[in-house]
Amino acid sequence: MLVRRCLAGDAVAWEEIVQKYNRRIYNICYRFAGSGEDAQDLTQEVFIKMYRTLKTYDVERGAFMTWVTTITRNLLVDHFRKSKQDRVTDSMDTAPSEHEDAMPLSEQIPDKGAPPDAHVQSRETGETVHRALQKLSPELREAVILRDLQDMDYREIAAVLKVPEGTVKSRINRGRAELARLLQRTYRQVM
Amino acid sequence: MPGESKNGMQCAEFDLLLSEVLDETLSGDKLEKFQAHGRVCPVCGPLLAEAKEGRHWLKSLQEVEPPANLVHNILVATTGVDTVRLRQPASAQPQISRAERMREWAGTLVSPVWAVARQPRFAMSFGMAFFSLSLALSMAGVKLSDVQHVDLRPSAVKRTYYETSGRVVKYYENIRFVYEIESRVREFKRATTPAEPGPAPEERKERKNNNNTSGQPEQKQERNYSQGGTQPVLASAPNDPPVVTVTTYRRFV
Ligand SMILES: [Zn+2]
Repeated sequence: MLVRRCLAGDAVAWEEIVQKYNRRIYNICYRFAGSGEDAQDLTQEVFIKMYRTLKTYDVERGAFMTWVTTITRNLLVDHFRKSKQDRVTDSMDTAPSEHEDAMPLSEQIPDKGAPPDAHVQSRETGETVHRALQKLSPELREAVILRDLQDMDYREIAAVLKVPEGTVKSRINRGRAELARLLQRTYRQVM
Repeated sequence: MPGESKNGMQCAEFDLLLSEVLDETLSGDKLEKFQAHGRVCPVCGPLLAEAKEGRHWLKSLQEVEPPANLVHNILVATTGVDTVRLRQPASAQPQISRAERMREWAGTLVSPVWAVARQPRFAMSFGMAFFSLSLALSMAGVKLSDVQHVDLRPSAVKRTYYETSGRVVKYYENIRFVYEIESRVREFKRATTPAEPGPAPEERKERKNNNNTSGQPEQKQERNYSQGGTQPVLASAPNDPPVVTVTTYRRFV
């Protein structure tokens, strides 16, 4: 097993772990944090944390993928708290700019109507959905990311978030519904 | 209304079953009750429609491509080493081309010396030495671009060897001449700067014995360009332009 080889000092095994999981972790971070730059920093932090705590991974307690995702999620929580704190500090330092949060998504995203090119449309749609996702509360956002983007099952998600499966399902429902409502405002004509 | 029972099903139960319905894993009697509740409940009906729509939006999101240097950066940040794969024996990697293997092989030969050459205290003398060599080579009529496109077939190498060996003697004489001048300049400098003494005698002795280039760089910043290691570094430096910048990965430190 990769982890065991890695703990035995096999550097190739560690590189295999990095190769195997970097894409997944980067995507979770990107969809949660919103920007590619943050996602890159966060992904690196995840691997640094993994590298340092690899010996604490217990095979008996669950799949390696769940462990990796838990580390990622915990760092995302820290990141969210920190950036929220930064935002509070920023707004105290500078003139308040509440309109940014208060303005509905439909006003922040220019209405595209019906773009002629299907490819351009799908790319722009992806961008719009991504931005709408950032508007969800972190609890709902992480739930739908793990379920609909990472295809994790409810039991695994419950293990990562450390909440009952029922709570996971409820958050997924609310996250999906909230996202649909946000996008309905943007795509009222198209839908 | 949460907690309200419609068609034999509570809203909480509807909520619990909703994701399973969208996964299409629910069937039979339970599914019928679920649908009946959704048709009449003013809360759960819209929730079903919106959740379905939101799921559709999320599923439309494509996986994004991580930056190309991400793996490299992670490996540097964690192990301090770029990649270990390249140091495996060539037999374990049949997919690697001959040129790549040559480069790796050259890399393993020069990497310890090259590592020394990259350290700031060697950078200056190395840069000067490279400059001298390229000057000497160009004086002797060899362009560096020619060196990069050398034909490596055995017959070609043999022919090139004989063609070149004669000239090499001449380069050597030229290089030696340049070194001669360099070392004179160094001696002159040392003699004229008594304010900055060289290493203490015992220190100098220690360094002479210490030919181990893989160890940690010494942190002392004495201005001493003359190191025994300069010439071997020069002789085995890889073809890449010897840009003597010190790479720092500020992000992770
Ligand atoms: Zn209901």
